[in-house]
Amino acid sequence: MLTKELLSYILDIGELMLVNGAEVNRVEDSISRICKAYDAKRVDVFTITSSIVVSIQLKSGNTLTQTRRILSYSTDLDKLDRLNNLSHYVCSHTPEAEYIRNEIEKIRIRRKYGAVVQYLVYGMIAGTFTIFYGGDVNDAAVSAAIGMILKLAITFIQRVDKNVFFVNILCSFVVGMLGFLLVRIGIGHSFEMIAIGNIMLLIPGLALTNSIRDIISGDTIAGLLRLCEAILVASSISFGFGLVSVFIGGMFK
Amino acid sequence: MNHTYQIITAFMGSLGFSILFNIKGRKLGYAAFGGMLAWVIYLLGGLWLSGEMMQYFISSIIVTFYSEICARIEKTPATTFLTAAIIPLVPGRALYYTMSYAIDGKFGEFAEYGSYTVSIAVAIAAGIMVASSLSRVFFALRSYEFRHHSM
Repeated sequence: MLTKELLSYILDIGELMLVNGAEVNRVEDSISRICKAYDAKRVDVFTITSSIVVSIQLKSGNTLTQTRRILSYSTDLDKLDRLNNLSHYVCSHTPEAEYIRNEIEKIRIRRKYGAVVQYLVYGMIAGTFTIFYGGDVNDAAVSAAIGMILKLAITFIQRVDKNVFFVNILCSFVVGMLGFLLVRIGIGHSFEMIAIGNIMLLIPGLALTNSIRDIISGDTIAGLLRLCEAILVASSISFGFGLVSVFIGGMFK
Repeated sequence: MNHTYQIITAFMGSLGFSILFNIKGRKLGYAAFGGMLAWVIYLLGGLWLSGEMMQYFISSIIVTFYSEICARIEKTPATTFLTAAIIPLVPGRALYYTMSYAIDGKFGEFAEYGSYTVSIAVAIAAGIMVASSLSRVFFALRSYEFRHHSM
């Protein structure tokens, strides 16, 4: 039987899915399937990137409505995988609310990779994309080092202010300054290649692609919101680089 | 030789992002291989296809099929593999150039690069949509047949 409590747990599943990187489509689909499995007469789900609204009509004639506001995301595909399994399980077994709550708690506390691994991976990604786009070994080494510093900068700046625009401006400024200095000293060869390797860690190329995917698949509003976010992030990154060129003067052609 | 480096780094780049996206265990390997596959197909496409957008389109179709197949093997959403595997194709560099032209006030180049970036994103997104719709149809048909035979 669908109760307020149960609906709130179902929304928890949906919210966590969205936060951890599920498409809007999948979230709406999972929520309405689960509600149907619990014998709702009619389910209306509306999801955009920043909110979920669910309204269900029960067989008894009552209506339940709940909403969630989503403020931040971080892609975690391990959690998404588990949430997906949970939602399949709930659909086919319709367990008690208590069970769902425990499972959600178990998923919530799952860890990401350790800090050391994260730093190394930032370095690796920056270095590999520098080579990928045509840099040489020196550039890759410099880029990898800056990548690790970038991770440090992100962690530190996010502690002060979580605003995406602000974080990206400062981070790309740090990358730009370090890149310029290391090229000036002579360790790195091409500023552009070093910048692009690190940019891959910040730039919302994936968000841009996903937003267009949302638009094509019919979730126009969600797609447009994501598109705006992507453009905002991209411009904040270039503002950061713009700041660098203000400081050093005439870096860009 | 340049291409060999690119293929190796595409693998490593996808592996890196898979770790950032917290993919675990055996799935890491699948996802990273997907990234390499994406770039190999892109490069191969350069030999036969006319136009860069076609290369992106075909490559993202094949990578999406690959992710759907891996998803069936590992019993997890296809997004898991697709998100990481699509990374080498994603127009990060073009987006960066677009925005830096805007900042420098070079609006001619900005418009040119901007439309280039958006076309890449559209080509990839369209490829993903085509392939995931097709594979939905294909797997629905297969499970239908399966039920028919087992009855």
